[in-house]
Amino acid sequence: MAFRPTTLLATAALSFAALFATAARADEFTTKNVDEWQAQFDIVAKDGRALWTSPELGTNGVVCAQCHPNAANTHPETYPKFQKQMGRVAALWEMVNWCIENPLEGKALAADDPKMIAIQAYVTKERRGVALAPGKH
Amino acid sequence: MGIDRRGFLKSVSGTLLAGALPVTLVELAFAKSSENFTFAYISDSHIQHIKGNKFVRNWDRGLLRAVAETNLMTPKPDFVMFGGDLAQLGTREELDHGAEMLSALSYKIHMVMGEHDYYLDLGEYWSELFGPHYYSFDHKGVHFVVLNSILTYDDWTYNRWESGKQRMGEMAGLDNPNGSPFMVGEKQRTWLKQDLAKISKDTSVVVFSHSPLQKIYKGWNFWTEDAEDIQAILAPFNQVNVVYGHVHQIQYNQIGNIAFNSVMATAWPWPYPESYAQAESHLPVLTVPMNRADPFFERDATGWQFIDVNTGRVDLRYNLYDNSSRTVAFNDAKRRPEDTAYQNPANRIKAQDHY
Amino acid sequence: MIRTIPGALALAGLLIQTAVIAGPPLGLPEVPVPADNPMTPEKIALGDKLFHDTRFSATGEVSCATCHDAEKGFTDSPLKTSEGINKLTGTRNAPTVANAAYNASQFWDGRSPSLEEQSLHPFVNPIEMGLADHQPIITLVNSDREYVEAFGTVFGTPPGQISMDEVTKAIGAFERTLVFGDSPFDRYYFGGDKSAMSDSAVSGFQVFLGQGRCVSCHTIEQDVAIFTDHKFHNVGVGINQVQDQVPAFVTAYLEARAKGAEVDILVLSDPRSSELGRFAVDESFNSLGSFKTPTMRNVAATAPYMHDGSIETLREVVVHYNNGGATNAADRVNDFLSSGIRPLNLSDQQIDDLVAFMEALTSPRFEEQARQAKARQQMPADQMTVGR
Repeated sequence: MAFRPTTLLATAALSFAALFATAARADEFTTKNVDEWQAQFDIVAKDGRALWTSPELGTNGVVCAQCHPNAANTHPETYPKFQKQMGRVAALWEMVNWCIENPLEGKALAADDPKMIAIQAYVTKERRGVALAPGKH
Repeated sequence: MGIDRRGFLKSVSGTLLAGALPVTLVELAFAKSSENFTFAYISDSHIQHIKGNKFVRNWDRGLLRAVAETNLMTPKPDFVMFGGDLAQLGTREELDHGAEMLSALSYKIHMVMGEHDYYLDLGEYWSELFGPHYYSFDHKGVHFVVLNSILTYDDWTYNRWESGKQRMGEMAGLDNPNGSPFMVGEKQRTWLKQDLAKISKDTSVVVFSHSPLQKIYKGWNFWTEDAEDIQAILAPFNQVNVVYGHVHQIQYNQIGNIAFNSVMATAWPWPYPESYAQAESHLPVLTVPMNRADPFFERDATGWQFIDVNTGRVDLRYNLYDNSSRTVAFNDAKRRPEDTAYQNPANRIKAQDHY
Repeated sequence: MIRTIPGALALAGLLIQTAVIAGPPLGLPEVPVPADNPMTPEKIALGDKLFHDTRFSATGEVSCATCHDAEKGFTDSPLKTSEGINKLTGTRNAPTVANAAYNASQFWDGRSPSLEEQSLHPFVNPIEMGLADHQPIITLVNSDREYVEAFGTVFGTPPGQISMDEVTKAIGAFERTLVFGDSPFDRYYFGGDKSAMSDSAVSGFQVFLGQGRCVSCHTIEQDVAIFTDHKFHNVGVGINQVQDQVPAFVTAYLEARAKGAEVDILVLSDPRSSELGRFAVDESFNSLGSFKTPTMRNVAATAPYMHDGSIETLREVVVHYNNGGATNAADRVNDFLSSGIRPLNLSDQQIDDLVAFMEALTSPRFEEQARQAKARQQMPADQMTVGR
């Protein structure tokens, strides 16, 4: 026997040290990670901007940017809120669909459709910094 | 509209009513009635072609309704102005369809150029339909000037794009970072100086322009690059009124002798620049905003207007659908335009909160 | 107790009084009660009696209940337009009194601000009760022993001093008890009973909220639903057919008003004035041809539909909206059409589902009438014996 630990605690301590000697901790993300992940978001927000000016969402050529330049007047910080046009409290993505179906005369997107995610990314990015005000009309 | 119709009807003879439609009325308490008159203003219809003979129904309905209501006006307006952006992408189909709808108006029409009409073919088809891009005319002692104020730098107009269609597409996006600021330009400024040299400083001047002839928010081209130069040319005149379109919302302002008033779009409303959180803008402080729209009602926050010229100053009466109408009149005591109901902050209503 | 009220009426009164004490029905908010007209059982019973009293008409044959019959959804279904004294008819379909207590204004054009004020008008309209003025009513309530006693108890008015103020307050109080919810929709949406509506009605509810675009005007909320926004909209009924004459109608109307004619009489007797809708009240461009959004509750029991009774079935109503505000698809819509009205592109299935949803808005009180109305509508034409 080359090595004999004198206490149980010492054994445990040595095991721990061995286990964690080379693996990074799950919650120790770095500035580099933050920048990467923000960049990932920006890619999708950019897609959202492209959709914002795309006639493909509707069937009549009308685009979101016509009434909402720079996504102004969309008020993402106020959702969920009572949406008169739907008769109930609704989330942002549902109102996006209302606009796609009504002024744009198009078909609604699923909540997890990449296009819907991108649109929400763009809308919220243009509204960054504004305090949350859920329910506000 | 808040005017005592019964009083008016009692004070005029029966013959006025025959064939006339006493739906909207101009105040009759004028000092010199021959110098006061009304004209109608319809603007920013953005007729948008889809395919074949299909157009975006929403914008078509806006123009149809404005024309129908203007035809109901009594007393009849002296003429009608169209404030620009008849078409959305300046195509022949759109200009023809728009012109056809305007032809239902029972009055003489004067046209103002908008960028959506211009950048496809630099106004060539527009001239065929409507005539010159800038001009002046006199009416009952008032000198009217129409400017083409949506021009831009030559380089952008002539050298940047592969086709007129691409150029028009780029200018069509209000928030497009590839756009270029509007201007009147040196040629028209020179023409304007000469045109105004013929009239006395006391003559009332009304300038029609698509862009605001002010610098409000560059990001959305609520902007005229040579605004200060134009204002300097107009400054010597005692009563100048600028009426502009493009912004699709109520705005008004006073700079020196010059009163500025925007007109509503018939097509759709635009947000106020202060509602874009990422940029600074300079909405005229005087402005009491229009009501926020419920997008279910396609005509909400759209409308048309008629303008009373009253002792050389303009009062705008905005006819708004699904909302109370608004009147922005020149306040002689304060020497600036003011909303007759809501200018006092204590009178504002919730619907005027924009954020 | 007023002993001459028939037994059925007394029972109804008792049931109504119970509702007043127990709170609003499922799906409805508290009934708004004006501060100067609190509800009491005696006042309600007095209003009930007045509502049914045919002596307040020129011929002694017409009461409020004639056109607002409890057994006909508080309308005179299936009449298109109502019949007053001597069977005189006018221009407008009788709106239901059921749930009218929730309306912000009364009449199709909102010309009356309250239930109390509304009740003044039919008495003196030449084609309704036809009295020259309210005097016969005042004389009667101040001389009839039972009325004198009742008014004294309810309002403390001495005999000889009872006025239309007390009369209309009593009627208003009675009408405030005519609130009916607890429909299959209410049980489904607010009561948590997912089996309360048929599958078709459930699908129809989604159409109502979505592609049908109904909910913006026939509003509902998270915890209650009155199905009206209280606003006035031109939906293309009637006016489409006369749209080229609108300028002439407006001139004629304003000339008549300048000569002193009354709104209430003009709009009910003159079709040209009637088609102007709310314009007759506020003389605004916005209001040309527009009418108040009625509640959708109990529509299955109140056919025919729209301000002029011109649409007979719920399905045809939906088709009118599906066409973008035109009863026949080929009709041109008028220039003043509400900008919320547009073609909907609903499929036949969606239309049928939407109708099933509308039928699910019937309160238990009117279930039987709704059933009979539907059976009548589905009868072959040659077996019809009623209606015009």
